[in-house]
Amino acid sequence: MNAQQREMLLRAMLEELVGNGYGDASVERAREVAGISASEFAAEFSDKDECLFAAYDCLTDRVVATANADCDQGDPWPERIKVGLESLLQAVAAYPQMATALTRSFPGIRPAAYQRYVELLSRFEPLMREGREYSGVEEELPGEVELLAVGAAEAIIFAEVDAGRAQRLPGMLPEILFSVLVPFMGPDRAADEMRSAAVST
Amino acid sequence: MSIFSEEPRDRLMRAACALCAERGYEELCEADIAKRADVAEGTFAQLFPGGKEECLAAAENANLAEVVAAVSRSYAADRSEWENVVYGVREILDLMAANPSLAYLGYICARQMAPGKVREIYEAGHRILEAMLERGLEYSEDMGQPASAALGILGGAQAIIRREVANGHASRLPLVLPDCVYIATVPFLGQHEAMRLTRDARRLI
Repeated sequence: MNAQQREMLLRAMLEELVGNGYGDASVERAREVAGISASEFAAEFSDKDECLFAAYDCLTDRVVATANADCDQGDPWPERIKVGLESLLQAVAAYPQMATALTRSFPGIRPAAYQRYVELLSRFEPLMREGREYSGVEEELPGEVELLAVGAAEAIIFAEVDAGRAQRLPGMLPEILFSVLVPFMGPDRAADEMRSAAVST
Repeated sequence: MSIFSEEPRDRLMRAACALCAERGYEELCEADIAKRADVAEGTFAQLFPGGKEECLAAAENANLAEVVAAVSRSYAADRSEWENVVYGVREILDLMAANPSLAYLGYICARQMAPGKVREIYEAGHRILEAMLERGLEYSEDMGQPASAALGILGGAQAIIRREVANGHASRLPLVLPDCVYIATVPFLGQHEAMRLTRDARRLI
């Protein structure tokens, strides 16, 4: 299969997972969507699980890349976080089914799949590290402050996706930004950034 | 410090939690739960006519009740509201560290794996915790914190808890008390006061 067919197959598998659940997700239907024969599938994947895990890895790579894209490295860290978050929220709103696959359908398959979700969150932590330089206290912030910030955004995004309101997320950028910045900058300055994001969006 | 007794109903709930942590919800089946609990399948069907979902929902209910009871026990009238937050969080982390499969049920399975009733109970528990945190606004200066601040706090703390539980390190949960205290307090009290409480939390480990 060529790269385009592979991408179509992986996407169709995730749509099968979201639409029909793990047990009824059909490789045959996904193959049909992508125009791939059984032998072409077998040459690349040993079974449904291997294909689903590949599809999830492909999706998460894209999500992490989206959060990194459009950021001008010359901008101050809070601005870069805002731009990355904005891109991410727009992508989630544009593809709600993929957002469901990302947050619930795939991680819910079994513990090994759930660990991929945990790993996804940890991939955002390096983006947060520079936030420590914006701290208003002299002593070192707690060791897990990066994951605290990532988890805060995840909780708000998860709640909206789970409630079928992913399209609202771009409008929630300012308040999500507050929750991401507050562990690093404290509530006063995080609220300033929130208000400024509300004006600019 | 198991919250379950040796009665058949409790043994079934304990077995369901353990198997769920090993396999997830999807691959959990009633026959295996009964076998692990050393209870006849017929007894399982009598006690939980709704099958595995009803069994795990009952376990999640017991889990939530124990969390609320543990937080209540930790409360002391001679402490400040925020100091009581520190002790309440410590109770929750200690409870989950002592019961890893309950932690898996409460933080992972009920949120992202299980359907219907189990999720509803998780969501009810989550709303209680959010409401408790929202009280923080009453004890802090209004700095324009958004309505979702409490959800963000819970999300931050739970991301750490879920990572430890998913990686099989629930026994380490008491060690993340300072981080959880920091995120629970910084949006309301600011960094200086949150760091003071974080230092207090380190001394409690």
